[in-house]
Amino acid sequence: MAAVTQTIEHVAELERYKHGFVSDIAQDFAPKGLSEATVRFISAKKGEPAWMLDWRLEAYRRWLALEEPAWARVHFPRIDYQDSYYYAAPSEKAGPKSLDEVDPELLAVYAKLGIPLKEQAVLAGVEGAPKYAVDAVFDSVSVVTTFKAELAKAGVIFCSMSEAIRDHGDLVRQYLGSVVPVSDNYFACLNSAVFSDGSFVYIPPGVRCPMELSTYFRINAAQSGQFERTLIIADQGSYVSYLEGCTAPMRDENQLHAAVVELVVLEDAEIKYSTVQNWYPGDAEGRGGIYNFVTKRADCRGDRAKVSWTQVETGSAITWKYPSCILRGAGSSGEFYSIAITNNRQQADTGTKMIHLGPNTRSRIISKGISAGHSSNTYRGLVSAHPKARGARNFTQCDSLLIGKQCAAHTTPYIEARNASAKFEHEATTTRLSDDQLFYAMQRGLSQEEAVQLLVNGFVKDVLQKLPMEFAVEAQKLVAISLEGSVG
Amino acid sequence: MSLARAIETGDLAQLPSRRDEDWRWTDLRGLLRVLPPPSPPHVGWAAPGPFAGLAGREVKIVNGRGPGGITVPAGERHTVALRFIAAPDAGAHAARLAIEIEDGAELVLLESYEGVGEGYVAQVDLRIRLGAGARLERIVMTRDSPDSVSVSKTEATLGPAAALAQTVLAAGARRQRTETRVSHPGAGGASVRLDGLYVLDGKRHADITTVVTHDGVDGATDQLTKGVARDQARGVFQGRIVVSPGADRTDARMGHHALLLSDRAEVDAKPELEIYADDVVCAHGNTVGALDEEGLFYAKQRGIPDAEARAMLTEAFLGEVVDRIGHEGAREVARTWVAKQLGAAS
Repeated sequence: MAAVTQTIEHVAELERYKHGFVSDIAQDFAPKGLSEATVRFISAKKGEPAWMLDWRLEAYRRWLALEEPAWARVHFPRIDYQDSYYYAAPSEKAGPKSLDEVDPELLAVYAKLGIPLKEQAVLAGVEGAPKYAVDAVFDSVSVVTTFKAELAKAGVIFCSMSEAIRDHGDLVRQYLGSVVPVSDNYFACLNSAVFSDGSFVYIPPGVRCPMELSTYFRINAAQSGQFERTLIIADQGSYVSYLEGCTAPMRDENQLHAAVVELVVLEDAEIKYSTVQNWYPGDAEGRGGIYNFVTKRADCRGDRAKVSWTQVETGSAITWKYPSCILRGAGSSGEFYSIAITNNRQQADTGTKMIHLGPNTRSRIISKGISAGHSSNTYRGLVSAHPKARGARNFTQCDSLLIGKQCAAHTTPYIEARNASAKFEHEATTTRLSDDQLFYAMQRGLSQEEAVQLLVNGFVKDVLQKLPMEFAVEAQKLVAISLEGSVG
Repeated sequence: MSLARAIETGDLAQLPSRRDEDWRWTDLRGLLRVLPPPSPPHVGWAAPGPFAGLAGREVKIVNGRGPGGITVPAGERHTVALRFIAAPDAGAHAARLAIEIEDGAELVLLESYEGVGEGYVAQVDLRIRLGAGARLERIVMTRDSPDSVSVSKTEATLGPAAALAQTVLAAGARRQRTETRVSHPGAGGASVRLDGLYVLDGKRHADITTVVTHDGVDGATDQLTKGVARDQARGVFQGRIVVSPGADRTDARMGHHALLLSDRAEVDAKPELEIYADDVVCAHGNTVGALDEEGLFYAKQRGIPDAEARAMLTEAFLGEVVDRIGHEGAREVARTWVAKQLGAAS
């Protein structure tokens, strides 16, 4: 019971959205609006080589020809792409050489968010806790990446995308856009033109990355969008676990976050990618909040490659996100574990795609959706088997939980089987919290709020167990906070 | 946008294409570059239909022409054979029919799509209204020609405490679609059972699409569709259950299970739940795979030859849907149909 009580106390201490503060930091902006000049401005600002600029301009031209997709079950007023800043960066004098030179205001922001930017910082109160390397992205730029020296000893490259374009141009050129092509979709194409920063990871053959890598995204500037690009390459036989977190200030306006994440997994390699998405969700009446339109895809190029996506989606006014796996290598496998929670007026349309191309490929999807308030939560997923994917195997379980009369939960799975030895199983249920279970918990002395949290935590347990330990603790608290005020 | 409009106007741009979400697996615009000429009137079609001898009355629509409606007066019980026939000279035609089942009436509708001609393109639109406490059992059997395009679209509206039970037996065509949309009032224990079977071989395609909208409290929907695809055939199942705001205590279940018996066959499925009320129990299950190896092994080690064991297991797999048919005569016709389809395909 202690754990439950502790969670309750923790929730009580917190505001509804504790990351909603704005930091007053001197910033440089690109001129408002989007044009070829904006793209050139961003590229010049980052001192990029000519090939990168050409790549961006090509993406921009293609984007002009694309139409904004309307198939997702989300509703929002038309986005005015000219009414936003595409580049916002904290002003810096001459590029900080070490953490000591970073603007103390900026460090204060991360301290407030609880992100350890000092390398010796470890999880408080835990003896021998594992170390985390962090890449901190503030609006459009990466401000600091920790533990780089220690990682370099293992041969691991972990740096911001801008640095990677500068220092590891060949690797970037080889892999960038190879998983998510430039004109893959409207938002990915926009990202390709104006992406400003993000993380780059390369794990050399046979290396097990000595620590967890993580990126922390923060939107601070008003009327700006964040377009980050992450590229992770796990070479033969390597392993990496990567975590991603994000927050934004509370504002009445909607801000666009259109990221692209590409994972390349070669033979016998494994990437574990975990996300705790906590962008500002807007207020109870649905004013403000982040539009989170993200393209994430992993390509299992080698035999026996493995990818595992785990996501806890609690924030954002609108989420539009389908982390996918292309299972190309023989015997490669993909996993997708997801908790998506919507409350108030939030809308989420999220799920995954498991595309079986190679023989004996396996995939597993566990999705738990919870909708409360006036929110709408859709699971949308595709499982397909190519004629050559002999022995392909998929298991999908998607459960939805409804809390309240005004919310909605939808399940839209697509199954395409094109060979006789593929075996696909899918089950889905939609229910509300069981009265019997609530009654049982409450007659054992729990308040209604505690009882709901206990049951919800039980409902999402399968997925929480897949998260790295520190994230799991944070995620469990987030689940409680997100549902606060939804009962009664 | 529909095939019927394209046939009536001759405008191919009216055809649904894969870009239309509901037609993504049954693309007609990409398939039909030209429409055949309009079907001429055809008189004196005498051959018996698949449900011959079971019905008290027969209604024939030949080449899209025939009576415009069927009415079952309040309190009466009828069994009607409704036959849509594409005669040897059929080209393109569209037909509309309204079926009215008044309060407390009962109808067993034995509906058949009989394609004799080749290369025809046809659509049927049915509008079915069930009054309070009315009952309808509908068994739909398709026997379209392999090179035809055939679409049947039904909109059914249920009154309070009405009951609709339906079983579609699809043998496919070049493109074939049986679409059923049900407006379910829930109230007073109205119930819906929507079942489907498809057994496909060659290059046949069959699409079974259903949409059930629960608008009131206490509604129940039970759906079971099973299918077998061999050779280069393609089976499509799209089922959507919508629970409107306030339609509490809805109990809806949907199952789709398919056997893929060839590496060139394809099965596509989209079982959807769209739920706007919280006090509901909704579930769907979907499986696609080959015959169960363990079951085969068991049968074989009991001395049953491989081919026979496969046929037996496949028949048993499909039999579950056949067993749910209420009308005894129709159930036996369906059983024979399954055996014949499997025999023809092996």
